[in-house]
Amino acid sequence: MVSNQLILGALLALNIALYLPLVFSALRRRKHKVNASNLADAFNGLEMALKEAVPDLPAGFTWEEAIARLRSSGVKTEGMDFALKSYEEYRYGGSPLPDLDFREVVKVANMLGGITTGKSGGASLGR
Amino acid sequence: MGAEIRDKVVAEVGKVVVGREREIDLLLMCLLARGHVLLEGVPGVSKTLLANAFSKCLGLQFKRVQFTPDILPLDIIGGFVFNMKDREFEFRRGPIFTNILLADEINRAPPKVQSALLESMQELQVTVEGHTEKLPFPFMVIATQNPLEFEGVYPLPEGQLDRFMVKVSFKYPSKEVEAGILKRNLSSIDVNDVRTVLTVGELDALVRQVEEVKVSDEVLAYLARVAEATRNEGSLVLGASPRAMVQLVHCARAKALLVGRKYVTPDDIKSVANEVLTHRLTIDRAAALKGVSRNPEAILTAILDRVEPPR
Repeated sequence: MVSNQLILGALLALNIALYLPLVFSALRRRKHKVNASNLADAFNGLEMALKEAVPDLPAGFTWEEAIARLRSSGVKTEGMDFALKSYEEYRYGGSPLPDLDFREVVKVANMLGGITTGKSGGASLGR
Repeated sequence: MGAEIRDKVVAEVGKVVVGREREIDLLLMCLLARGHVLLEGVPGVSKTLLANAFSKCLGLQFKRVQFTPDILPLDIIGGFVFNMKDREFEFRRGPIFTNILLADEINRAPPKVQSALLESMQELQVTVEGHTEKLPFPFMVIATQNPLEFEGVYPLPEGQLDRFMVKVSFKYPSKEVEAGILKRNLSSIDVNDVRTVLTVGELDALVRQVEEVKVSDEVLAYLARVAEATRNEGSLVLGASPRAMVQLVHCARAKALLVGRKYVTPDDIKSVANEVLTHRLTIDRAAALKGVSRNPEAILTAILDRVEPPR
């Protein structure tokens, strides 16, 4: 006859096995949370998030390619179109860094952080 | 202004040439960047019609020269003829003195003629027996060649291919576009239906605006990395020359202007790199034996996928 202590121990182990990945996942999300203080920070965060969330995105990707890829995967990016245009003006056109609302960029970056997967498997943004 | 004009040109030329928007874009970019175009495609894919309609749309003078094995440099650039009335030699201009010269089947002409033409393309002037004449502004050569011909042709050597800013491959149209072409041809096609949408003054202003399009140091450094990658690529014997990279920058600037921007992004570079660079890349003939792709487009795409642009 199995003792109650043994059953409790087994249930505890089962719980740990079930909840530990969830705890790790939540910690990972926190780790990947983008905190930006300006538009450039927000796009830097998005770049990092893209590299992790879409491991098969080639190293030579451009913003246009990355956005097209996100759109084809059903990620809504329309809200950051103006921010991207302004960021490109700053980055490549030599304009001063605009004081713009970059919450949409951070939102997309954090959303990507949430579905971050390694090359080994799990959900990822398909082509 | 650039984007507006681009849309007008595409719409006007599109009246007679169906489904060639990308090709029209490339011709316009090349003209604004002071380059020349090599059109490669089998007969009957509207290469000549496109060149003609494009010139008409921009209000430019257009001349066509059919290159044959017996053509002479004199037949293109002109030469001195004796004037019986004045009893002296006078320079008679050849068909090269135009805005847009269609050099049809350029690879049928012997190398002497090809080099005479290509020299004028580079210098934008003609010199015969010490007499020099400037070519009109703008001047663009649109040369065509059939990729499937091997008999009686003189393939352009690498150094001469390098003179062309872009090579546009005319592929067969898709089923939908083909249906559109057939429908368009149910009634007669007249190039005169194409309206002129630009004056020479406006064109001149656009060319100057291209020169004002900003290219950041980081984008230039990215271009240098791309050039280096093509030169270090194992499956290539010959990578992109400095002239190729200069032309890539100019073409990307024209592209930026035509979408209404005053600066070049890495997307502009990547969007024209194929047409500007692939005809200048020489594949290592042993590459196929090593199981490496012999397709320059695939090799260039792999390089661009590898080289990180500024973001």
